[in-house]
Formats: sequence, C-alpha cells, structure tokens
Amino acid sequence: MIENSIEKTIDFNQPFNNDYLIKISGLYKNFGKVKVLKGVSTQIKKGEKVVILGPSGGGKSTILRCMNLLETPTYGEIWFEGKLLTPVDPYLHKEIIRNAKTYKKLFSEIKSFNPALSDDEADETVIKEIKDKDLLKKYEGKEYKAEMKKLYKEFFQDINLTRQKIGMVFQHFNLFNNLTVLGNMTLAPVQLKLKTKEEAEKKAMELLKKVNLEDKANVYPSTLSGGQKQRIAIVRSLMMEPDVMLFDEPTSALDPEMVGEVLELMKSLANEGMTMVVVTHEMGFAKEVASRVLFIDEGIIKEENNPKEFFSKPKDPRLKEFLSKVL
Amino acid sequence: MTNIEIFKESFIKYEGYKDVLEGLKATIIIAVLGLFIGIIIGTIIATVKIIPKKNGITNVLSKIGDFYVWIFRGTPIVVQLLLFYYVFLPLMHVRIPSMIVATCVFGLNSGAYVSEIMRSGIQSVDIGQLEGSRALGLPFTKSMIKVIIPQAIKNIIPTLGNEFITLLKDTSVVSFIAVMDITKAFQSIAGGNYEYIVPYCVLALFYLTLVSLVTLLVKLAERRLKQSDRK
Repeated sequence: MIENSIEKTIDFNQPFNNDYLIKISGLYKNFGKVKVLKGVSTQIKKGEKVVILGPSGGGKSTILRCMNLLETPTYGEIWFEGKLLTPVDPYLHKEIIRNAKTYKKLFSEIKSFNPALSDDEADETVIKEIKDKDLLKKYEGKEYKAEMKKLYKEFFQDINLTRQKIGMVFQHFNLFNNLTVLGNMTLAPVQLKLKTKEEAEKKAMELLKKVNLEDKANVYPSTLSGGQKQRIAIVRSLMMEPDVMLFDEPTSALDPEMVGEVLELMKSLANEGMTMVVVTHEMGFAKEVASRVLFIDEGIIKEENNPKEFFSKPKDPRLKEFLSKVL
Repeated sequence: MTNIEIFKESFIKYEGYKDVLEGLKATIIIAVLGLFIGIIIGTIIATVKIIPKKNGITNVLSKIGDFYVWIFRGTPIVVQLLLFYYVFLPLMHVRIPSMIVATCVFGLNSGAYVSEIMRSGIQSVDIGQLEGSRALGLPFTKSMIKVIIPQAIKNIIPTLGNEFITLLKDTSVVSFIAVMDITKAFQSIAGGNYEYIVPYCVLALFYLTLVSLVTLLVKLAERRLKQSDRK
C-alpha cells in the first residue's frame, strides 16, 4: 500500500529531525469508498511558501485539512514541529514492522527457503512484501505493540495544542456570527488563557489597524463585505501567533474586485517571513509568491517544483493539460 | 347574589386571592425552573448526540440520551408525576416536598423535548463555525459553549418559546400530586360555593395573560438576538 515514491522523500530512520514544520508521510484518505488521497508525502520547511494547485476534486483541500486534522487521515502520519498528530502508522516505521509476528514468520520462512540470502536482504524483501500486500494485522504481538506505544508516547501531541500554532483561513471565512469583529479575534487567545482580555484587545486593535479595519472592531461580521471578512479571518488567525498559515482557497468565494485586497495581505504576510501553505486558483499569486508549487491530481502529488520551472517546463501530461486550460 | 358577587366574596372576603397568588407563584416557578432544567439537560443530550467522532464513553452517553428521550416523550406528564411522587420516591424512602418533585419532573420532561429542539438548532448552524473555532485550537466543548450553542439558541428561540408555553399550560396538572397551583386555587374557590362559571373564566383569563406575556417576551428576545444578523 505504500508507494515507492514515499521512500524517496521520507527518511525513515530520521523521522524526528526538526528542520521542517510540517511533515506528511504516506497520507491516505478515504471518504467511505471514495479514495481521495492515495499516498501523499511532503515536508514543509520553515519560511517556505507552498502553493497547491490542481483540478477540483483532486484532493488539494483534503491535504490542507489533514494538516491540522480537520480531516482524520485514513492511513499515514502527520508531524508538526517534531510532534506526531496522528496515531502511529506501523507501515512507516521499519523498527515497528520488525517486531511484528508476521514479519518474524515471513523472515524465518524466507531464510529456510533460501539460506544463501543475507539477513539484510531478507529483511528488505520481507518489509517490502509486508508493505506492498498490507499484511500487518491488528494484533501482532506484545513487542510490536510496545514499539508502537513507545513512539506514540514520546512524540504524540494533543491536536488542540498544535492547532494553536497552525493558523487556518477558509474559503467561506467562518467568522463567528454571534460575536463582533473584536470578539472574534479575542475569543481564542482569551479562552485558552494565552492573553488577558486587555492584552488581546490591544493586539487585536493593532492588527485591525494594519489591515485598515479598526473602525469595524465593534460590528458583527454580517455587516462586512467578503473581502473585509476574509481580512478579518486572516488577522483572527494571526492573533494566535501561528508558526504556519494554511489557506484553503481564500479568494474563491470573493467578488473579483475584492480578491486583490486579500492577496495583498497574503503577500505582505509572505514578505514578513510567514510559512504558508496555500490552496488556490490564483496562478499569479503562485508565480509571484510561491517558493514551491505542488500539483495534486487523482489523490497524489503529480509534480513538485519551484514556480519558474513548474510553469515554464511542466513534465507531467496532466499538468500540461491543466496549465493550458488555466493560463 | 349574582355569580360575580359570590366570586368577589370568596375571592376577597374569604381571602381566596391568597391561594391564587400562591398558586400563581407555584405555576410560574414550576414552568420557569422546569424550562431551565430542560434546556440544560436538552443541551447536554443534543451536544453528546452530535459529537462527530464518537468513542466508547460518548457512545454510551448517546444511547442513554436516546433511552431518556424515549421514556419521557412516551409517557404522559401526569403519569410521570404520579410515578415519581407515589412510586419511585416512596420506594427509595425519600421524602421531598411535592413542589420540588413537580419542578424536577417538568424539567426532566421538557429536557426530552428540548434535546430534539436543540439538536435541530445546533445542526442549523453552519459546520464552518465549528471548524473555524476548532482550527484556532479551542476544544470541542468550549467551541460549543462559546460559538455554536449561542447561535443555535438564537435559531430556536421561537420553538423554545412554544415549548415554554406548552410547559406553562401543562403545569395545570400538578394538583395531582397536591401542589397548590393556580388551577387548584380556583378549583377550591369554585368548589367552596358550587359556583363554577366566574372562577373558571377568570382562571382561563389568567392563563391567557401569562401566555400573552411569554409571547411578548419571546418576540423581544428574538429582536434582541437578531442584532448580529442586521445589515
């Protein structure tokens, strides 16, 4: 079940190094019988601006929503700042597979059939077979379980804690309709006891001033235009001082004349060094701001490159077709 | 003496008004506290029922909620009053004033109805509101209390008002377990001198006035809560 391409991008022996913010390994997501993601692996480094492009229904938003666990992955692991957000996926860890009963059985079988085989070679063959044929069962013995638990205990972090550091901006803004703009911005930091009410309000006013909306502090979201709502939604996320911002088609629900103001704000964020992952249809934004562009189609990363190469020398045939349609 | 004079005499001279005032107090207390208890129980049940990813505990809680709603919607309130006051409490050797029993039974009963009302209210709130709140790191319960339930309540204020009116009128059966409510008060005035016309008409007027007041309050509340919708 694990695609070979993962092996190239993920170093299994060092899953815990800290030079990335987000690491996705072997991500699969099924909605019922529909397979939306079929093995996505990528890493997002600090300061990177990753733009995710692709046709609708290809799984772009699902990847983004898996990063802060708004969707629970079916298989695979998500890591954030060296912390594990999902349950341990045994297929991603050789040391876990080696402790499984199935592995031990297959290993001794293969050795008795073929005594000339070295241990390393046998090990490799068995692990490959187990991964390819999805052979691990629910119960694989005590040692296997202990190995899983050890990893989980050491690296698992509660998602609510992690989400404080991952800002997210939605297509439909999702401002709280029952609260004023100021209430929207101060709710999370105050409730989570990260700031006092006064501190939060002061910070909120500073941010509102930055986006020229300080006169809207005490109005309800229903009185705002789409562009204003989205700018508020962005600064609402910034209240939490996130380490990375996820944008899920932030301009798709906006009138054309309002797209500009939101993109401007995103660009200024990018210039300030914010790590960003953006799902969008704005090719101009991708060309100008992105440090890396991913093309997602049919649930996998079909192409991944810097924007210059991505747009001028696309290799994947589906990407060529996609670009010819949208450019 | 005319009917009205007879009523006046027993109402004022023989201090029938004292019973009526006491009864009015009981009726209002049972209805208001009953609804209050009902909203708390109903909100908890509705919240448990809509938890997206259920685990063992929440699954059991959800089943208990279903059972509770089944029992309290499936039996008449009078039967519930009689069972609690004359069967369950004596069986447990507990003595509680009938007024408190009535309030609790009405609370439990309305909890069953409010849970369904609240569930539809919560489901009418856009899922994006919950996602927005969870994405900021707020836990599920906090998101519900601060973001979802306030919006849900706004959506269900008219229905909740309806529930309160029904509850208010249903309290007229509490005399089954010897609570002096407003119906009981007028019954004793009427029974005192076998003159029924005026007391029962006045009783009806009392209920009508109460219900009209509630209707007015609901309208005011609706208008106030609409604030955040106004363009």
